[in-house]
Amino acid sequence: MIRWLALVGVTLAFGIKPVQAALSPDQLALLPPAATRPVDFARDIQPLFEASCVQCHARGKSKGGFSLETREDFLSGGDTGPSTVPGRSATSLIIESISGLNADLVMPKKGKKLTGDQIAVFRAWIDQGMPWPEKITFQKHEPANLRARELETISVRPEFPNPVDGMVDAVFTRAGFAWPHPVDDRTYARRVWLDVVGVLPPPEELAAFRLDSAPDKRARLVRRLLADNQRYAEHWLTFWSDMLRNDYKGTGYIDGGRKPITAWLYRALARNLPYNRFVAELINPGVEAEGFTKGIVWRGAVNASMVPPMQAAQGVAQVFLGVNLKCTSCHDSFINEYTLKDAYGLAGVYADGPLEIAECDRPTGRVGKVKFLYEELGVIDPAADARTRKARLAAIITARSNGRLTRTIVNRLWQRFMGYGLVEPVDEMDKPAWSPELMDWLAEDLAAHGYDLKQTMARILTSRAYQLPAVNVREGEENYVFRGPAVRRLSAEQFSDAVMALTRSTHARANAKANRNAALSGAVAAVAVPPPRWIWSTPGAEVRAEAGSVVFRRTLVLPAKPTDAVLTLAADDSYAVVINGKNAATSGRRNSTMMESFEVKALLKEGENTIVVTVTNLAREEAPVGLVDNSGAEAGTPAGLILYARVRADERVMDFVSDSAWTFASGKESRAAIELGEAELAPWRLGPAFLELALAPKDTLPVERASLVAADPLMVALGRPNREQVVTVRLGAANTLQALELTNGVTLAAWLTQGAGKIVAASPADPGALVDSLYLQAIGRKPNAAERGVALQSLGSPATTEGVADLLWAILMLPEFQLIF
Amino acid sequence: MNLSRYAVQAAWRRAQSDRWSRRDFLKTASGATLAALAAGAPRGLVAAAAPAKLMATADRVIVLWMAGGMAHTETFDPKRYTPYSAGLDPNTVLSTFPAIPTVLDGVRFSEGLEQLAQVMDRGTLIRTMQAADLGFILHSRHQFNWHTGYVPPQTVAAPHLGAWIARTLGPLDPAVPAFINIGQRFDLGEGEELKAFTSAGFLGSEYGPFNVAFPEQAADAVRPPAGMSIDRFADRNRAYRKLLDASPIGRDGSGYQKDSLLRAMDNAHRLLSSPAAKAFDLALEPLDRVRKYFPGYEPGMRFDTPRDRFGARYEEGMVGRFGLGCLLARRLCEVGARFIEVTTEYIPFLNWDTHENGHARLVGMKRMIDAPIAQLVRDLEERGMLDRTLIVLASEFSRDMMVEGKPEKGVKNQVQVPDVISDPKFYGMHRHFTAAGSVLMFGGGVKRGHVHGVTADERPCRTIKDPVTIPDLHATIYHTLGIPPNHGYEVEKRPFYVTLDGKGNAVRPVLA
Repeated sequence: MIRWLALVGVTLAFGIKPVQAALSPDQLALLPPAATRPVDFARDIQPLFEASCVQCHARGKSKGGFSLETREDFLSGGDTGPSTVPGRSATSLIIESISGLNADLVMPKKGKKLTGDQIAVFRAWIDQGMPWPEKITFQKHEPANLRARELETISVRPEFPNPVDGMVDAVFTRAGFAWPHPVDDRTYARRVWLDVVGVLPPPEELAAFRLDSAPDKRARLVRRLLADNQRYAEHWLTFWSDMLRNDYKGTGYIDGGRKPITAWLYRALARNLPYNRFVAELINPGVEAEGFTKGIVWRGAVNASMVPPMQAAQGVAQVFLGVNLKCTSCHDSFINEYTLKDAYGLAGVYADGPLEIAECDRPTGRVGKVKFLYEELGVIDPAADARTRKARLAAIITARSNGRLTRTIVNRLWQRFMGYGLVEPVDEMDKPAWSPELMDWLAEDLAAHGYDLKQTMARILTSRAYQLPAVNVREGEENYVFRGPAVRRLSAEQFSDAVMALTRSTHARANAKANRNAALSGAVAAVAVPPPRWIWSTPGAEVRAEAGSVVFRRTLVLPAKPTDAVLTLAADDSYAVVINGKNAATSGRRNSTMMESFEVKALLKEGENTIVVTVTNLAREEAPVGLVDNSGAEAGTPAGLILYARVRADERVMDFVSDSAWTFASGKESRAAIELGEAELAPWRLGPAFLELALAPKDTLPVERASLVAADPLMVALGRPNREQVVTVRLGAANTLQALELTNGVTLAAWLTQGAGKIVAASPADPGALVDSLYLQAIGRKPNAAERGVALQSLGSPATTEGVADLLWAILMLPEFQLIF
Repeated sequence: MNLSRYAVQAAWRRAQSDRWSRRDFLKTASGATLAALAAGAPRGLVAAAAPAKLMATADRVIVLWMAGGMAHTETFDPKRYTPYSAGLDPNTVLSTFPAIPTVLDGVRFSEGLEQLAQVMDRGTLIRTMQAADLGFILHSRHQFNWHTGYVPPQTVAAPHLGAWIARTLGPLDPAVPAFINIGQRFDLGEGEELKAFTSAGFLGSEYGPFNVAFPEQAADAVRPPAGMSIDRFADRNRAYRKLLDASPIGRDGSGYQKDSLLRAMDNAHRLLSSPAAKAFDLALEPLDRVRKYFPGYEPGMRFDTPRDRFGARYEEGMVGRFGLGCLLARRLCEVGARFIEVTTEYIPFLNWDTHENGHARLVGMKRMIDAPIAQLVRDLEERGMLDRTLIVLASEFSRDMMVEGKPEKGVKNQVQVPDVISDPKFYGMHRHFTAAGSVLMFGGGVKRGHVHGVTADERPCRTIKDPVTIPDLHATIYHTLGIPPNHGYEVEKRPFYVTLDGKGNAVRPVLA
């Protein structure tokens, strides 16, 4: 009677008809009869669910529309109808499907098939009224490492000046491991130079450091290196370019399907932009940083899992949150709890309109609902426009409450410096750290110090843990216990930079488009004129303007022929500048609003000069697939020109900017340009960077670093990736093709031959002194007697160019040079 | 032939096949299979962990790459011939060359392929390769697709066919790189896109290509750097080894990173000093034999001077490079190469990429490929190696005068075709056609004297019987090597297969 009432209750409550299963009487006879013993959900049923059902029908997933996260979900069934009615197992759809008797509906598809005994118990459970304690559900687990912790809740041991060491000590104690002696000054200096600024310590600095007897000299060295903004930026440019897919050559550029962010990135690193702002500017970018979330588009059709908004979702999740959404862009993940809906939810933030969900490239007819991966951290209004959605996403991800952002980056830094992450792999941040306290403390310490990454670096680099002797760790080591930093290998860039330094060479020119002076100084001198404005021929052009070209004109009157004249401009979409009838500057057809400076002194003269800037606004359909602006403009796209000309003539500085003093041709008339707004105007949001570039001295700094140039065959062989994919960790092991490139490749051979000539010309007459200096520079120590003997023989007496080149090569090949101990 | 070398190779092969079956089983079984069993990964991976026993019928593969889109109706699948005359209606032109007989009854090639016609009794011709539908055509995208099986961009870097094979089977001879790529420069148009697939991708650069852009200078790739004598090279290496021994960390003691460095240096040195390295030196080939591959050959010829890039001697240079590339491929096979690709070189709007003057250009292209490929087949046969060497001649898609892409897809045209052909420059197959394409195979376990698939005799000259998709073509190549189509490796916990999603099916009718 009680059972019957329960059935009525359920039927009324959910308004469903009793299920009519399709099994024939013959088939029904084959069903295992219900077990007769009382069934306990936690003991009997929950394990069956876990083993056979939850991977498709719980934890956020609902294959076929069916979820069993709760009793109610279970009863309401899925696309093929309600699953069952308590008390009526024989006619229930769920029993029919798990019995395997209906060939069209066999469950589970992926998990373990149920045995006859298990089906008997399952039937008994249904017939006994489906007891299901309310506290047991199969909902999504809250992901690990997600919420911020209060720093005060993490206990720090006062006997360790650096809290990192207290936490490592706990790990050592558990492992029964005693602290070894820290490494010597030479080893430490080499490590920290390579880790902070990417280059070998110059011998004279190394010598001074070793002589220094101050107890805090290591901490001071770290601080000094971290304060070397240029070297720091040019080292970390590689780390971030790998992750943000930023490169100077590469796939996609051919069709304008890719945009570098080097100028923004260099500036952000040079000025140590706080990490929360760094991330926010990448997630919700102005034109300078938008390349990361615009993705890479080759011409033609792509798989649904690689449309640009999906690339943006994958990039944001992997880089900032340590979550791999790649599998999940095609189907619910087999390896974690993320679902197709999660991926589309995040991609939707970057989409022009609703995104139809495709499963393994097959359209499903369902539309993705815009949402953040972890709704417990914040909700995005799906109805908001694209700009608002991106701003909201940036706010959620960089909020103080998001402990995943900080944990992910401190783990990456730890992995860089120690060779093995606190969480490994570093892109699986749902996994526990080997010392959660340590990771949490580093993460909270970062947030507590204004998201200053250099502060976190200093914490790690001055720890005793970092100063331990290097240990041997295999790539992908599974039974890892921290005992000290791993032996690491020089990166392609570090190797290349070391060769440059040893051979006293520099690169001919940078491929990186960034004015380093502007990035490094950051100061804008007082400007005598009103700030430059974005201008166009029609109002509201920052939202939309018709496709086509507008010809802007301005006359400059100069008291004398200029001694210097630099024109800085940006335009949406492209421009051509003509001064006094001669070409002064042109952008690519799809310049996508890159700021650039041009020297135009030679084209200007005393008296009246005419500047004509023709700006072309591309129609939406002309823009490459996936690179259209997301502002939601129906017809037309944003259009604008901003310009700053600094001219020195007659010992005076004269500035000319884009404003309503410019005219444009409209039919036969000439009309004043319409001012749209200042540099910070959306969607471009160039901000102070525009004036900084306009007023910065030309970048004539020597190009010493590999991070500023396109990959050469040597760097490719040594593992510099092509950056079509996000790369967070490079493979370190050497291989034969690398060794071949090092042995007879033309790149290294050419550097060595040229460099050896310079070394011979500048070196001391005493070959012994030359050997000492090469060893000091490359390895940080003088050669021992045996080494000196070999080296001198190789060098020749007096040293020949060939001898120097060959000795240098032999030193470069040594593990002691190529590895970081 | 040196018997002892073959014995060594055979032993190496056995070791390699053991290595594959055991090591890869363990690798996939430990990580992937357990994860798959626990999490219900696609079925293919489980099968990949315990591969069906496939008997390899080939030990090595040579891909002859017709870069830029080789028109089937102008090469291996000729249709009605319409000679040029001013005023032609382009709709009536299917082939711009007459057909010629081959040694096989009823099988005809296009004029200009007379020598290949003579060896067709050793070959299998697939006439119905289906290039992928990738929308607005970009050659490098289709080439990426053909060489990796996947459509770019991908979330993980997809490996090249040669890298898959190098990873799975290893080198045939440890002194010869397992994946050798002959004839392509990467500093020309779409070079970055070409680099993206001429790569081992996620498998790691160890399995990447050994690139030889200029076959006549291949010896330089395995010689000391330019300007360095053999003696000096040896001295330099000796100095390195002595410094290594004298270094406080020396050769003793083990370390993951150090061991890998030292092993790599040893391997490189072994290659550079092994007898196999001589195979790279075409000067060691008898001159009369070289001229069978490239009649115009003179000792010391070089094809890399800037004026030869696109200048007057351009065509001769390209003919020479491809011909010598085929010869180099043969020589490398003899010393134990595993996978070699020889390309006619992809350069936008040149070679097979005929956006205009298609007829005239194809005269030269056929001259480029006809003699050397036929000679390669004959040479390998003469050496008793053809049976264990699979040769695959293919292109990213075909061409047609009127149809771009597949007829029903409405792909955006990239070449304007006038209503009336008034100039020879419009006479030729200039659009990119993906609904049929020819693939010619020899040796390595494919049938001798066989034609697979039928295309329509009227425009559109598309597949009408037995289409062969790229995953199926890949599965066929892998099948001859004993590699199942669902063999794969894990990357970021995701299974990634040698054929698209592990779903290729070998084209059984072409297998002997």
